[in-house]
Amino acid sequence: MKDPGSSAACASRRSFLRGIPVITAAAALAPAPALAADGKHHWAMLVDARKCIGCQACTVSCIQENAVPEGSFRTIVSTYSVKLTDADQPAGTYQLPRLCNHCDQPPCIPVCPVGATFKREDGIVVVDGDRCVGCAYCVQACPYDARFINHATNKADKCTFCAHRVDAGLLPACVETCVGGARIFGDLNDPDGELRRRLTAAKDELKVLKPELGTEPRVFYVGLDPRFQGKVEGQGTLWQPRKAHG
Amino acid sequence: MNPDIVETVNVAREVAWLPWAVQYFFLIGLSYGAFLVSLPGLVFRREGWLGISRLALLAALVCGLTAPVALLADLHQPGRFWHFYAYFTPSSWMSWGAFFIPVYLTGLILYAWLAFRPLLARHADEGGKLAGLARRLAYGGHESRNALVAAALLAFVGAALVALYTGVEVMLVRARPLWHTPLLPLQFFVTALAGGIGLALLFNRFLPGHGDAQATRRMASALAATQFGALVVGAVWLALGLSGLSPTHAEALAQVAPSANWQVSAIWAVAATVVTLAIAWRRPGSGLLIGLLALHSAWMMRWTIFIGGQEVPKTGAGYYSYQLSLGPEGLMGIVGTAGLWIFLFVALTTLLPLDRLGRADGAGA
Amino acid sequence: MKIERRELIAAGGLAAFAAGFSQTLGRMVSGLVGDEPKAHNIHGRSAEPEFSVDPATGELHPNPKQQVSYTGCLGCTTQCGVRLRIDKASGKVIRVAGNPYSPLSTEPQLPMKASVRESLVALSRYQDKGLAGRSTACGRGNAAMDQMNSPFRVLTPLKRVGPRNSGQWQPIPFEQLVRELVDGGDLFGEGHVEGFGALRELSAPIDAAAPQLGPKVNQVAVWTSVNDGREAFARRFWNQAYGTLNFIGHGSYCGGAYRSGSGALFGDLKKMPHAKPDLANAEFVIFIGTAPGNAGNPFKRTGTLLAKGRTEGRLEYVVVDPVLTNADNRAAGERGRWVPIRPGTDGALVMGMMRWMFENGRVNTAYLANPNVAAAEAAGEPSFTNASWLVITEKGHPREGRFLRGSDIGMPIAEADKYQDADPYFVLGADGGPVPAATATGAAPLEAGGATVTAGDRTVVVKTSFELLRESALKATLAEYAEICGVPEAVITGLADEFTRHGRKASAVAHGGMMAGNGFYNAYSVVTLNALIGNLNWKGGFVVNGGGFKDAAAGPRYDLESFPGAIKPKGTPLGRNVPYEKSAEFAQRKAEGKPYPARDAWFPNAPGLGTEWFPAMLRGYPYGLKALVLWSANPVYGIPGVRPLVEEALRDTKKLPLIVSVDPLINESNAFADYIVPDSLMYESWGWTAPWNGVPTKATTARWPVVEPKAAKTTDAPDGQAIGMETFFIALAKAMNLPGFGPDGLADMDGNRFPLERPEHWYLRGGANIAFAGKAPVGDATDDDLALSGVERLRPLLEATLKEDEWRKVAFVYTRGGRYQPAKEAQDEANAEWQTNRFGKALWLWNDNVGGAKNSLTGKRFSGCATWQPPAFADGTPMREVHREADWPLLAVSYKSALQNSYSIATRITSLHPDNPVIVHPADAERLGLATGDLARVSTPGGDATCRVIVHEGVMRGVLAFEHGYGHRELGARAHRIGDMRQPERRDLAAGVCLNDLGLVDPTRSGEAVWVDAVAGTSVRNGLPAKLVKI
Ligand SMILES: Nc1nc2c(c(=O)[nH]1)N[C@H]1C(S)=C(S)[C@@H](COP(=O)(O)OP(=O)(O)OC[C@H]3O[C@@H](n4cnc5c(=O)[nH]c(N)nc54)[C@H](O)[C@@H]3O)O[C@H]1N2
Ligand SMILES: Nc1nc2c(c(=O)[nH]1)N[C@H]1C(S)=C(S)[C@@H](COP(=O)(O)OP(=O)(O)OC[C@H]3O[C@@H](n4cnc5c(=O)[nH]c(N)nc54)[C@H](O)[C@@H]3O)O[C@H]1N2
Ligand code: SF4
Ligand code: SF4
Ligand code: SF4
Ligand code: SF4
Ligand code: SF4
Ligand SMILES: [Mo]
Repeated sequence: MKDPGSSAACASRRSFLRGIPVITAAAALAPAPALAADGKHHWAMLVDARKCIGCQACTVSCIQENAVPEGSFRTIVSTYSVKLTDADQPAGTYQLPRLCNHCDQPPCIPVCPVGATFKREDGIVVVDGDRCVGCAYCVQACPYDARFINHATNKADKCTFCAHRVDAGLLPACVETCVGGARIFGDLNDPDGELRRRLTAAKDELKVLKPELGTEPRVFYVGLDPRFQGKVEGQGTLWQPRKAHG
Repeated sequence: MNPDIVETVNVAREVAWLPWAVQYFFLIGLSYGAFLVSLPGLVFRREGWLGISRLALLAALVCGLTAPVALLADLHQPGRFWHFYAYFTPSSWMSWGAFFIPVYLTGLILYAWLAFRPLLARHADEGGKLAGLARRLAYGGHESRNALVAAALLAFVGAALVALYTGVEVMLVRARPLWHTPLLPLQFFVTALAGGIGLALLFNRFLPGHGDAQATRRMASALAATQFGALVVGAVWLALGLSGLSPTHAEALAQVAPSANWQVSAIWAVAATVVTLAIAWRRPGSGLLIGLLALHSAWMMRWTIFIGGQEVPKTGAGYYSYQLSLGPEGLMGIVGTAGLWIFLFVALTTLLPLDRLGRADGAGA
Repeated sequence: MKIERRELIAAGGLAAFAAGFSQTLGRMVSGLVGDEPKAHNIHGRSAEPEFSVDPATGELHPNPKQQVSYTGCLGCTTQCGVRLRIDKASGKVIRVAGNPYSPLSTEPQLPMKASVRESLVALSRYQDKGLAGRSTACGRGNAAMDQMNSPFRVLTPLKRVGPRNSGQWQPIPFEQLVRELVDGGDLFGEGHVEGFGALRELSAPIDAAAPQLGPKVNQVAVWTSVNDGREAFARRFWNQAYGTLNFIGHGSYCGGAYRSGSGALFGDLKKMPHAKPDLANAEFVIFIGTAPGNAGNPFKRTGTLLAKGRTEGRLEYVVVDPVLTNADNRAAGERGRWVPIRPGTDGALVMGMMRWMFENGRVNTAYLANPNVAAAEAAGEPSFTNASWLVITEKGHPREGRFLRGSDIGMPIAEADKYQDADPYFVLGADGGPVPAATATGAAPLEAGGATVTAGDRTVVVKTSFELLRESALKATLAEYAEICGVPEAVITGLADEFTRHGRKASAVAHGGMMAGNGFYNAYSVVTLNALIGNLNWKGGFVVNGGGFKDAAAGPRYDLESFPGAIKPKGTPLGRNVPYEKSAEFAQRKAEGKPYPARDAWFPNAPGLGTEWFPAMLRGYPYGLKALVLWSANPVYGIPGVRPLVEEALRDTKKLPLIVSVDPLINESNAFADYIVPDSLMYESWGWTAPWNGVPTKATTARWPVVEPKAAKTTDAPDGQAIGMETFFIALAKAMNLPGFGPDGLADMDGNRFPLERPEHWYLRGGANIAFAGKAPVGDATDDDLALSGVERLRPLLEATLKEDEWRKVAFVYTRGGRYQPAKEAQDEANAEWQTNRFGKALWLWNDNVGGAKNSLTGKRFSGCATWQPPAFADGTPMREVHREADWPLLAVSYKSALQNSYSIATRITSLHPDNPVIVHPADAERLGLATGDLARVSTPGGDATCRVIVHEGVMRGVLAFEHGYGHRELGARAHRIGDMRQPERRDLAAGVCLNDLGLVDPTRSGEAVWVDAVAGTSVRNGLPAKLVKI
């Protein structure tokens, strides 16, 4: 077998795979959040889009874990077919896990007329179901479509980072069962925790959704394509909600 | 729309502010709009305004009493309405609104009572239907000018606050560029006023002899003014959007421009306004038509803003398609509020027949 | 009058208001009296955690209200080891996740010695263990639990009411079921039906004139799906005890073409060994017709390793596929690439790559020259090929296409051993003469250069396998190959170049994408690529499955393999996967002087063929059936073209007198059954499953009833057990008193007999064989293990059924959800670059079983090595000669839904993606005036259907892509009437189209059979000629 190392061949090799630019170009970096002085927890998530295979295990596990009614979703992995003009292949798949960003400046909270929704000390944004009047003002105010009115409870509902599991020393359902290992959950304030390490390692490519709104999301992304950072300009899905409630 | 990106898996979010909300914003708007129309005749005693002002006040009352019920129904936990008062939250305009509404309604009811007392008394004297009730309500039937003015003032303050909060509450929602415009409160106000006038015109039309032609003409020109105002505001919005001077407006425009539904609604709205303006200006006598047109525009505008606005995904591509359900969450909600409105109208006009209100004699002034 | 009207209006208004406001009122009231189930103010309806772990100390506190158990998932054929969370009070499954001991769910898996307690802590936040040791279930695996309480389950034995497939059933008692099925009788008032008792005719032949067909008992046939860990039990009953030859799985309409192509290279066309890329260590992998992370088996493990590899920067991969799937991920775009290809043309692409490799010295000839394993290992190679072996190529020679064997050159070989293992193969020796391949030391020549050898009385020309393959590759030019497959020449050479730059850490693999009209040769070509770079058995290369620990083995504790009176079924299999030349028909036609064509195609080089079953049984060729047993199989939904072809005949009780199904659900196939017997579902089942492939270490997953089976109980035993496959077959065995079952149905290794009267008698003893297999048995389960894993519930059974020294070891296996070899043992102790489990036989560049066989319709020989040939019908007529491009301009393909499988439709996964719009390329859409969301009429020569289309660039131009798993008619899509109960109406479950309803029949087989590959006999679901019109 001839020595394949010949530079000419190497060139052809580069052009074969590596030639393809990743569609994530440089864009507004997410301010890597600082460590809090006090040793308190600050829960956050890193979504490594490169690892997502769009299997929706997260979506379904969330539904089962949190009894999310038919037709509503606390998380979903939006999947897109993207035409490529700058690559050797005509199109590519883009998978984007979405959930509540547990923003540090959450527009959903100040609007609540009864103070039913708030950010816990540990950074988790929650709804107090005993107080919520179901006015859906917060649903309107969330820029990420992360909230909805739960038709079983008639209250505002959203991702809680599975606070009930986290408080019990466990991982959120969607993280626990993430097949690609794309969802990394942890404590921003734990300097040598896995989350911190990954955030630091990826700091140059860290992004968040809709950074321009100043909501300061605490869900960070690696491999987030600018074209998907805000409202996606494209052909909408054919998905139609199924009659789930009367 | 960019055909280079096609969403293959995603889900729609359903509308969270239901037609109930549209009904509330419509009715409360009509109410304070009509209330304003009641002032010239009843408070400022402008020549020839009295009849129409009384009719307007009736309109304000009927709508004002119906509106909060619709609002309550839009809550998914209506039984907890008291939370608004137990957990006042200054950061939320909706929370403030919960206090503004009672202010306005108290003022309005007082004002109406003081304004209608003499008429109630007369109704009783003339042995009209439910004379007994009328007499008790008339409570002597005296006029108390100062009290009336005071009540009107209270109602005016309330109306101003309600107009303010209903506009700002929606305007502040940055997540929806379409709503997030300082022009929105203005648009709400102008169309509300127009609606109020329209409703008064309608009542006027049902008077024997189609009411006071003079008044009709006066109202028509007022209506023309509002429509002109509406067009100006609309133009400014468009200018801001097209010029890109204001990012939100540009974004809002970008979001809705591609949608056929939106194009239709936009053209429709403009056309309706222009037609109303034209007719009100050229044939001010045609009270019924322009009245209906004005009401229709006021409602359409709110439906488009609320329901249409919620059809625009905040993150996903394309549009969510809202189908009006037949149940309380949809059509029945609309019919239900209409039903309540009609009931109140009939009830009140039993004691205060339109023709008596509309009669432009000195009584009550 | 006027007044009345006013009042009417007022009343009307009030009424309308009341109606509109009713709900609000209701909510106010319910809000006040608080009748809604009390929920936590923050956590709402979220499930209570199954346990808590102290983040500081790692201490575990179980939740006494819940049970956590390890068992197997059946959400797809991957059958991952999963972890169930069950609410003890209601017995309901709360959620499913992965089993950390199982390599199918965890990478790398937790060693068995870790206690159950440790395994649970390993999933928690404690020290971020849960992130490193993440153990998962996929979207479908998370949704599959919905089946457990599905309103569409069959829970009692059902007997059809009215004609077949009329959707009406009568629940019947178990005894009646068994009695009617054994004794037969006038069961439906449609005349006498023979029962299993009478049908068990072991001596009388089906056809005295054709004894090769075997005894009448073969006219009872059993159709199942995949081995869900219970097949050995079913086979013990049907093959060994009842005696029929015909027991089949879904292989021929799964990925059979790939398996056959692989079998050709691995030299065994019946067992069809295959290998997989070692994704954990590979540098470059070409997936041709398999979509890693989108589907594939093992689905999850592949997805996890792919994501890891491409993100960490070790792995680059290419997916050759007409359809863009979740195998692609643009966020890691520089590491993966999608290469669109025209359906059914992979052979052209691959032979093009080979041509370039041959012409550019990129074929590892040094490796190929090793003629046997000794020579190979001496040369530092863990595998070898038959590249240097000599093939008789003399035109017209009776053994043309066969390897030169000892008996050919006059070596003394006993007649019985002729062409068997004892009859040696040859390579060219130093002197230019033949030397036995097995004894040759060191490299043998790959070039025979037209050498001749004297075979018997004449000299014959021979060539090496290597030469024959090269000739085949050089048949067409690169330009021609590129033209055929629609992949640019530069990409073909680029692929070949990249493929040959990673030493042994590259590989090429395929699967479902091979199910085309030339699938066998496409697949043989793809796998042959691996042989040319010598990557087999290398770490990071092409590696074989670790396999499982065998339960139904002869020991070490119990003999579950054989028993006194066991039958060895004989005869001709229904699917005719045997040489036509050995049939009575051949003898007769030969006598008539016209041996070819046979009445219909035969498949000597194929395994059992479900694809051929329906046409065979309903035409009576080679023979008809008296009874068909459908056990959890759905061929009517799964085989392209079958429904239109056999729907009518299946209704005809004359053609097929009895159809019995064992299944927890009613699918498109058993909807035609006469009886349906409920079977256990998912987590209710026993079983011992092994990974299908793709796990280098030994692994066996334990399935056990972690949830009480829902089905009605048997009444024959006092402590009635749930009706299911096992209890049903045991009852049949008892009623017919068959050997191998009953009070002394099985034996331990000392010959002591034990009963086989209950499922656990079988599975727990199988567990003992597993626990004691190998060098050392597993350890003992502690009481803590038993308590924390819910296996406590099994303890009485374990102690009652097993021996004192066995039960805790078997319990150990159940508490861990299986037996799993440690991950680090994947590579060989002695040589870290070699796999531990190695394939030791030759790889066959030339396979003379194929090369020596003849097409039974033409008498023409097949090619014995990888080659390009266009998709064709059974007699070799290219498909495009019959269904021309002018009439059918498009080609339809099928691809697996990333979310659904073929029976998951009635679960929550469907709410994410309720139907399957057909993908159309923008260029085609424009020509057809179609836009995303439009309705269109798609038609093939096999049928037509209305579909919605989605238009994007994620499909090869000229191709229509159908996502599989939709277009159901059953499994909830139709409401059946059972007794006087009616199933819920769920029309939404019928959404979409199933491409198989448009499958083709083979015109060269007089339209009596569906289109299958001529060699592998596998169904054709890729590259169906089609057209599309807007409606
Ligand atoms: N067009 C097209 N056709 C295809 C495919 C494709 O991709 N495209 N895929 C092909 C492939 S790869 C395969 S393997 C075949 C599969 O085809 P088959 O193996 O014949 O059938 P399945 O669809 O797997 O259905 C098995 C049946 O088992 C029953 N079942 C479900 N869950 C359980 C359970 O928990 N316990 C028991 N006892 N029974 C259960 C259900 O009735 C289900 O219908 O289809 C093939 N057909
Ligand atoms: N999500 C999911 N995973 C599954 C299953 C499931 O139902 N759903 N089923 C399991 C089973 S039973 C099996 S057998 C495996 C099968 O796993 P795969 O073989 O990976 O899946 P398939 O979709 O059958 O075929 C793979 C790809 O072949 C492509 N293809 C079609 N025609 C051609 C062609 O002519 N040439 C080439 N190169 N490609 C072509 C299809 O577009 C498809 O993307 O998946 C298993 N895993
Ligand atoms: S994502 Fe939405 S719901 Fe979540 S915190 Fe931010 S604004 Fe609130
Ligand atoms: S829905 Fe509930 S949480 Fe949201 S704003 Fe209204 S009261 Fe607050
Ligand atoms: S963290 Fe929990 S609630 Fe949030 S998306 Fe994941 S599973 Fe759902
Ligand atoms: S589970 Fe993980 S890999 Fe699967 S879709 Fe969700 S984020 Fe992606
Ligand atoms: S891949 Fe998913 S569905 Fe298939 S067996 Fe594993 S978990 Fe179950
Ligand atoms: Mo399969």
